[in-house]
Amino acid sequence: MDNFSNLMDGFAIAFSFFHLALMAVGVLLGILVGVLPGLGAPNGVSLLLPLTFTMDPVSAIILLTSMYWGALFGGSTTSILFNIPGEPSSVATTFDGYPMAQQGHATHALTLAFMSAGFGAMFGVVVITVLSGWVTQFALKFSSPEYFAVFLLTFASFIGMGSGSAFKAIVSMMLGFAFATVGMDGISGNMRLTFGFSELVKGISFLVAVIGLFGLGELMQTMEEGLRFDGIHARIRIRDVFKAVASMPSHWMTLLRSSLIGCWMGITPGGPTAASFMSYGLAKRFSRRKEHFGKGEPAGVVAPETADHSAGTCAILPMLALGVPGSATAAVMMGGLMIWGLTPGPMLFIERPDFVWGTIASMYLGNVMAVVLVLATVPMFAAILRIPFSIIGPMIVVVCFIGAYTISGSRLDLWLALPFGILGYVFKKLGYPIAPMVLAMVLGDKAEDAFRQSMMMSKGSLAIFWNNSTLVATIMSLAMLLLFWPMVSMIIRHLRGAEHGRRISA
Amino acid sequence: MRTTSGVLLTRLTMEVATALVTGLIGAIVCYGSLEFGIGWGDAGPQPGYFPFYVGLIVIIASTVNLGFGIYHHRDRVEEFLTTEQGQRILAFFGPMFLFVLVSSFLGLYVGMILYLFSVMVFQGGYRLPKALAVSLITAIANYFLFEAWFKVPLLKGPLEALLGIH
Repeated sequence: MDNFSNLMDGFAIAFSFFHLALMAVGVLLGILVGVLPGLGAPNGVSLLLPLTFTMDPVSAIILLTSMYWGALFGGSTTSILFNIPGEPSSVATTFDGYPMAQQGHATHALTLAFMSAGFGAMFGVVVITVLSGWVTQFALKFSSPEYFAVFLLTFASFIGMGSGSAFKAIVSMMLGFAFATVGMDGISGNMRLTFGFSELVKGISFLVAVIGLFGLGELMQTMEEGLRFDGIHARIRIRDVFKAVASMPSHWMTLLRSSLIGCWMGITPGGPTAASFMSYGLAKRFSRRKEHFGKGEPAGVVAPETADHSAGTCAILPMLALGVPGSATAAVMMGGLMIWGLTPGPMLFIERPDFVWGTIASMYLGNVMAVVLVLATVPMFAAILRIPFSIIGPMIVVVCFIGAYTISGSRLDLWLALPFGILGYVFKKLGYPIAPMVLAMVLGDKAEDAFRQSMMMSKGSLAIFWNNSTLVATIMSLAMLLLFWPMVSMIIRHLRGAEHGRRISA
Repeated sequence: MRTTSGVLLTRLTMEVATALVTGLIGAIVCYGSLEFGIGWGDAGPQPGYFPFYVGLIVIIASTVNLGFGIYHHRDRVEEFLTTEQGQRILAFFGPMFLFVLVSSFLGLYVGMILYLFSVMVFQGGYRLPKALAVSLITAIANYFLFEAWFKVPLLKGPLEALLGIH
C-alpha cells in the first residue's frame, strides 16, 4: 500500500489553512469564469497563471486545479439555468438540464448535476491514485526517444481521433508548432523566426494564444449571436436538494458507465467535451426512457456531468506522468508547471513526490469543497448574469487584456491577443479545432528538443525510434496507426461501400 | 437596423480566405527558417529543419483545405456572416481595438476607464454619472488587486507618472 501512505503524506501537505483557503478562492473564481460567457476553464487558468509565478508550486497547482473544478461546475450552472453552456464540455448538459429547469425542477437539476459531477471527479481521482504508483515504474525507462514518441502519440491522436476535418486539425496544430519555434532556439541559441523584432526573442507565449483564442474568440462569437439571457430564477430549496441526493443511487448504472467513459477519454486525449457527448449518447441508447431524453430526463443530466468531471480530473494524470495533457486546460497547467521550474514526466513522481501527492490529495478536498460551495453560491452567480452585457462584456475584455499583459509585462502581448482572438473566432466558425494549437504551443519546444536530442544520441538515424526499446517501438507504432487512422478508415469505408454498391447493381 | 440581414460573407469566401491566410503563414515560416539551415547536420537536424517542415506541412494542408472548401461550398448557399451579425462584431471589436491602442500609449488603467465609460454610454445607453462610477471603481479595484495585493504592476502611462503613482 505504497500509494496509500503517499496519499496520506499528500493530505498532510494539502490540509493546511492556507491551502484550504486557496482551494476556496480557486473554486469561487472558477465558478465565476465558468459562469461568465467568454471566460472558460483554459482561459481562466491562463489569466490566473501569471499571479502564481512567485508562489510555491504546490500552492500554485492547488489554486489552479481548484479553479478548474470550479469552472466545470460554473459551466453546468449556466447550462441548466440559462441554456448557455459556460464551457464547451457542458453543452450536453443543456439538452435535459434546461428543460428540467423550465419545468420548475431547477434545484433538482442543479443538485443532480453537482452531485454526479462530484461523483465523476471522485471516481477520477481514485483512478489517478491507483495508477500513479504504477507510473513511477516506467520513469527510469524514459529517455529522449520515448518522450518524443509519447508526444507524437498525443499529436497523432488529436488528428486521428478528432471529429472534424483531419487537415484542419493539422493546420491548427502545425501553426501551433510554428508559433512555438519563434524566439531563441534552446539547443543552438539561434533567434528563429523573429524577423528582426527584438520583442519576439522571448517567443510567443501560449498564454496569450489561449486568452485570444478561447477568451476573445468566444466573446466575439457570443456577441455575433446577439446575446439573450433567458434565465430561470434559481432559488435553492433545501428539501429539493435532499430529494435529488436521495435519487442519486437510482442512477448508479449511468454514474458508473459515465465515469468509466470519462476516465478513458480523460487519460487518452479525447477530452471532457467528447466524453460528455459520448456518455449522453450511450445513456440515451441504453435507457428505457429514450423518448424522454431532451425533454428533461434526469439521467440526461447525470450522464454528461459525470463524464465531464471524471474526464477533467483524469486529464491531470497524463499531464503529470507523461507531460502529455489530456485537455486544453491541462495543457495550460502543464505550461505553468514548466514555468514553476518543474519538468512534467515520470521523473516528477520520483523527484517531487510532495508536489504530485499534494496535488492528488488536494483534488479530493477541492472537489468536495467545490460541490458544497457551488450549491451555496448558485443564486449569487446566477445574479451576475443578470447584469447587462454592455457592462459585463467590456469588463471581461479588460480582464483578458490585463491577463495578457501580466504574462511578461510586454505591450506586444496586448497586440498579439487581438489577432489570436480573430483566429479563434474564425477557426471555431469554420470547424478548425483549437485545442491542438494550444497543445502544440505548449509541447512544441519539448517535442522538438526530444527529437533533436534523440538524433544526437543516434547520430542522425531515425531508427532509434524503433530500436531504442520495445516501449518506444510500441508507442511509435500506435502513433502511426492513429495518425493515419482517418485514411485507413476512409479506405475501409470506401472498399465496403464499393462492394455494397456492386452487390446492389449486380 | 434589424431589417438589414443580407449575407455579408459566404462560407465559401471565408473557407478560401482562411486557407490562403494559413498557407501564407506557412510560407512565411518556411522563408524564415531558411536563415539557419534546414538540412541535416552532424548532430541531426539543423535549427531551421523543424520549422521549415512545419511550414511546409501547413502549406500542403492549407492547399487541401482550400480544395475541400471550394468543393464543399461551391453552391455558395451557406452564409458565414449576415450584415446584422457583422455590425454586432464590429460594434464589439472596434472599441476593443481602440482600447488596446489607447492602452499601449496611456497605460491599461486609463485605457480601461475610457473603454468601459464609452461602451456603457454609447452602446449601453447609461447615464454619465453611473458610467463614470463603474469605470473608475473598476480601475481602482484592479489597482488594489494587482499593484497592492499581488504586486504585479500593470502597464502605466504618462498620466500615472504625472500623478506620481508607480
